[in-house]
Amino acid sequence: MEKNNKSRSTTMNGLPWILPAFVFVAGLIYYSIFYTFKLSTLDWNGLDPIQTSVGMSNYGKAFSDWIFWKAIKNTVVFFLITFLIQNFLGFIFAAILHSNVKLATLHKCLIFIPTILAPATMAPVFRLLFSPQGMLQDLSDTLHLGITVDWLAQPNAALYILMIVTIWQFTGMSFILYYAAMSQIDKEMLEASHLEGAGLFRTLWSIVLPNCKSTTVSLAMLGIIGSLKTFDVPYLITTGGPNHATEFLGTYIFRQGIRQSHLGYAAAISVLLLILAICGAILINRMNKGDEK
Amino acid sequence: MKKTKVVVVGLVALMLMLTGCGSSKETKDTSSETSGEVVWWGWTPGSPTNEKYIEAFNKEYPDIKVTWKQTSIDAYDAALKPALANGKGVEAFEVSAGSGNGGIQVFGGQAIDLTDAVKKALGDDYKDKLNEAAITTMTVNSQLKALGVGTVYSGNLWINQDLFDKYNVKIPTNLDEWKKACEIFEQNGINGFVQGAGQGAFNIDTFHAIADNVSPGNFTKATRGEVQWTDDSIVKALELWKGLFDDGIMQKGALGLQQYPEANNLFMSQKAAMVMMGSWYTSNALPDAMKSAIESAASTEEPFTMIPIQFPDIAGTGNTGSMFGDLDYSTAVSAKSSNIKAATTFAVWLGTSQSGQQIIADSLNVVPSLKSATPDWDNVKLVNPEKQNEPIKEYLNNAMNSGDNPRFAGINADMNQALMDVLAGVAGGTITPTNGAAQLAQTQADSE
Repeated sequence: MEKNNKSRSTTMNGLPWILPAFVFVAGLIYYSIFYTFKLSTLDWNGLDPIQTSVGMSNYGKAFSDWIFWKAIKNTVVFFLITFLIQNFLGFIFAAILHSNVKLATLHKCLIFIPTILAPATMAPVFRLLFSPQGMLQDLSDTLHLGITVDWLAQPNAALYILMIVTIWQFTGMSFILYYAAMSQIDKEMLEASHLEGAGLFRTLWSIVLPNCKSTTVSLAMLGIIGSLKTFDVPYLITTGGPNHATEFLGTYIFRQGIRQSHLGYAAAISVLLLILAICGAILINRMNKGDEK
Repeated sequence: MKKTKVVVVGLVALMLMLTGCGSSKETKDTSSETSGEVVWWGWTPGSPTNEKYIEAFNKEYPDIKVTWKQTSIDAYDAALKPALANGKGVEAFEVSAGSGNGGIQVFGGQAIDLTDAVKKALGDDYKDKLNEAAITTMTVNSQLKALGVGTVYSGNLWINQDLFDKYNVKIPTNLDEWKKACEIFEQNGINGFVQGAGQGAFNIDTFHAIADNVSPGNFTKATRGEVQWTDDSIVKALELWKGLFDDGIMQKGALGLQQYPEANNLFMSQKAAMVMMGSWYTSNALPDAMKSAIESAASTEEPFTMIPIQFPDIAGTGNTGSMFGDLDYSTAVSAKSSNIKAATTFAVWLGTSQSGQQIIADSLNVVPSLKSATPDWDNVKLVNPEKQNEPIKEYLNNAMNSGDNPRFAGINADMNQALMDVLAGVAGGTITPTNGAAQLAQTQADSE
């Protein structure tokens, strides 16, 4: 009985300490989530005093909306390609810069700088670069390549342009994380593999990569969530076009919620995005735990 | 028991916090009709024109400080919604008719009724003194929610007359001449016609012009449900629209370009000879406005002679000269403002006073709402008066007499998006004209 009282006393003493954080988290995050869910059951333009309840029909609308599915497909393709290329490049750069490279610090800076540049400042540059009046077109004309740089206008090409921009920007992030992970690898292990006669690629594949697994998992999780939240690059470079060819969930939420004033529908897509992000994170986590076992 | 108390206190704190976030306090009007501070939100016409309006207003009302806050067209709704919901920092704000940015149907609920203020300024017969659209399109639930500043019209092209003269190019009046003109300019390293087809609203203008060329009035009838979107004339218009891309009239990569800033910059920097813009572009015929536009286009070229021409008869029907328009922007007063009286004075001055509307008329940015205000051509100096005065006078005159042919006022947000999608899809070859027309019909049916 005495023991129980002691335990209760400890619990009660702890609660006031976590209360500010609890209020903050509950207020700012969970309240927003629940409020978004409430909004998703409404037909409302965001300003009108009249809010019409429509139950779950906004969710049904999303599942029969081809643009929603196009955004999902774009997100999946975008994640797979950017994740693979970005992390491959990041891994290779990190491995190279762990060897004796001249001006290593300069190279590290050059690789990492794009990560800290705001997409808003880079988007106009890329719009110009890939414009028919831009630098690539000038280069093509100068070299008489006969290529018309109108890729942002082509539904099949525009998404890949966005991937190039994203890979350019975030390879530095993969690089820096892999670089840090490689610093933690036991050097004796690498020396042992060398003595066993393993070549460079064999060592990278069989020793370095497995030891960087937790980094890869973290990058995968960040990649999934980042892809689902993608907004700035497509919005600033293609505005989701042409004809929704580069639509992502983020741009579609903005289009529906702000441009078309369907705040309830936009909120429904936001809730679906949240569910997808949680599922993606759980999936990656489980795969990781499964491998560990 | 103590634990329960702590949890209850926590939840109460949470409730109070959330209530604080969501509450809308009644604001007290601290201004008067002659003094106060007004933050005026809008997307057009921008510097230096807005500053001129404010300067003229302050000659009559020196104690009302007006601050112009501009956002881009695309960002306007996103920026204004939270600002209005918050109730601070917005006294007067621009709204538009129909489904464009700042749509009155969306934002009108946040504005006060200006009927009494207008009656006080113009008398009970105010409706006779103002452009009809300034009243009808801004009336929501029998309340006048905003005062129209002026009307814009579209349906025409603007050309760089100096480039046409330099390369001895005939001004196009039909499809073949248009193709030929583009070809000659291309050979000389200049884009013939430029359109930022990645910015859908301007595509609707071009398509509307084509549809009126095929069968006058059918576009407007389709928006009203009087003609089916699947009508042959609409399908034909979509085919002609597609043809602009296939025949080399639209510049390469048009679907990847925005009308603003890219197409506008190409025209202003004299890298393109023709552009699809409406009457709002007339202000660029003024030397100061043009210099500013040229500098914004990162060009060092001198101001040039731009004149409006009719949309070429690409359907071969002879139906040319169609123009369509609606109020470009109107000024509403935020119901949550703490400077309602001062903001009302400003909105009424801008939309109904002879002095306010005269400066609007002389800026050539929009056609003024007050019928008695027309441009003072002795006072308005164009870049090249000899070549520009007559065509521009005639152009504005045609615009004002264009009749019942609204630009966006009859298109709701869903139809607007559907039109943009279909036009981009047809242009890019992912949607056939027939399917595109069916898609429009379906959206119209759904949105009804």
